[in-house]
Amino acid sequence: MSTLENIKEATIRGDRDSAVELSKQAITEDLKVDDIIQKGFIAAMGVVGDRFNKGEIFVPEMLIAARAMQAGLGIVKPYLSEDEKVTELATVVLGTVKGDLHDIGKNLVSMMLEGAGCVVVDLGNNVSPERFVDAVREHKPQFLGLSSLLTTTMPGMKLVLEKLEEAGLRQEVKVLVGGAPVTQEFAEGIGADGYAGNASVAVNKIKELLSVSE
Amino acid sequence: MISNMNSRERFLAALNRQEVDRPAVGNPTSVATVESMQATGAFFPDVHLDADKMAALASVGFDLLGFDTVSPYYSVQQEAAAFGCEMSWGEIDSMPDSLNPVFEEPDEVKIPEDFLDKPAVKTVLDSIKLLRKRHGDQCAIIGKVMGPWTLAYHLYGTQRFLMDTILEPDKVRAYLDVLKEVSILFANAQFACGADVVTLADHATGDLVGPNAYCDFLLPVHKVVTSRIDGPTILHICGNTLDRMGYISEAGFNNFHFESKVDPLAAKEAVKGRISLSGNLNNVQTLLNGTPEKVEEEVRKAMAAGIEIIGPECAVPLRVPNSNLKAIAEAVMKISQESR
Repeated sequence: MSTLENIKEATIRGDRDSAVELSKQAITEDLKVDDIIQKGFIAAMGVVGDRFNKGEIFVPEMLIAARAMQAGLGIVKPYLSEDEKVTELATVVLGTVKGDLHDIGKNLVSMMLEGAGCVVVDLGNNVSPERFVDAVREHKPQFLGLSSLLTTTMPGMKLVLEKLEEAGLRQEVKVLVGGAPVTQEFAEGIGADGYAGNASVAVNKIKELLSVSE
Repeated sequence: MISNMNSRERFLAALNRQEVDRPAVGNPTSVATVESMQATGAFFPDVHLDADKMAALASVGFDLLGFDTVSPYYSVQQEAAAFGCEMSWGEIDSMPDSLNPVFEEPDEVKIPEDFLDKPAVKTVLDSIKLLRKRHGDQCAIIGKVMGPWTLAYHLYGTQRFLMDTILEPDKVRAYLDVLKEVSILFANAQFACGADVVTLADHATGDLVGPNAYCDFLLPVHKVVTSRIDGPTILHICGNTLDRMGYISEAGFNNFHFESKVDPLAAKEAVKGRISLSGNLNNVQTLLNGTPEKVEEEVRKAMAAGIEIIGPECAVPLRVPNSNLKAIAEAVMKISQESR
């Protein structure tokens, strides 16, 4: 197998040490950094996301794959030349809503969006509607991703949409919602632009919404 | 069909799959709402550390909402607080959260000798005593403890624990082995204070881990836990759980409390008559945003499937209107009458 294929396989199985060693090897082989990222790491996370969607693997496997990807990206990204910079897909602001400290799913979305070429502004967890609005105003993202893991905090997502409306920013950004108890029905009910059931779907949803708006 | 059962009799019969006058109405987790707090003067976050207020708010379930049960442990964080986690106790309409793990390795875990006297734990125990004194044998008191899997999330860290199921499985087993003693200790103390049944909340949910993780890591531990707890138990796991309900039905619990993501008929099929079930009304679409008519529709579906204890799928969102909670028992009674 080529070095790029080996990087992809190491990332899929969550082998961080091999992903790091192979990334160093790829640099010494003078492979294009953009190719290492796209054909190695991003391709790997595509496979991982697909298996997750099918219920073949679960969050632990996603976490160790994402960890391997992050470690590998840490090796290769400094070698990106100016004219080789990965095209930025979109700017995405992410956060877990107020009163909710759960962030594993959001962190996975963040890592996969970065891997896919997005600029991610992660506000963390327990984020108030006002902080979301401020971030949209400041960073002018194409997408705002809201995460909630509790039925007790889900109603906060609607508050964020209302605050965006009040601030005159609702039309400036597409809002996606996700988290274990969140559903498509709930997303439509509060007026969100999209629902993503997991990190892999979130990446695909963003790409889908971007192609629609082109 | 028998008649003249009081709430406690009905709930215990339903739990044990015995004959009942109608399905029981209960929530093994929490039915606390802001409306109930206003009715009693017992508000979040005070209730988590004040036994009188904890008991007063719990009584609303039986006194006002038509439930056959009272459930005083509202959050999932009393044990984490007792172990010294930094806490955010939340606001009137939010649940408490622990902010930082306190252990790096399983051999660091030592259960304090005065664990049962730690304020967050003692509050639950004292509230159970108060509820028993207040209600006598009229309604069922449901205690609650966190299981070892959930305790590991809070005390060691969810992300690390999940990754360790692949990277360091022996560490996972070691954590479960030591933390199960916390669940057993606290559950038995709750029975000694007068609880009728104890919910074990242990979040090895399908939204996070596969069914093999439950079978390989947690099922053997649950079998030990249920054999050492001095009373009936309900297992609660949020989210997608259908793929592990067969295993759960072998773990020694009397009942499994499941969520709206799982179809009630499929749930019944999965447990093969070994245990009773409670649930599984949708918290957000039905109880928070729906109407009594929507509540009745879902109650009807759960009753048609033979769910023994009808109630919300999990701790209810705190802004749920009490009218929708009252609608649950009203619907159960109405539908029971239809079949007579």
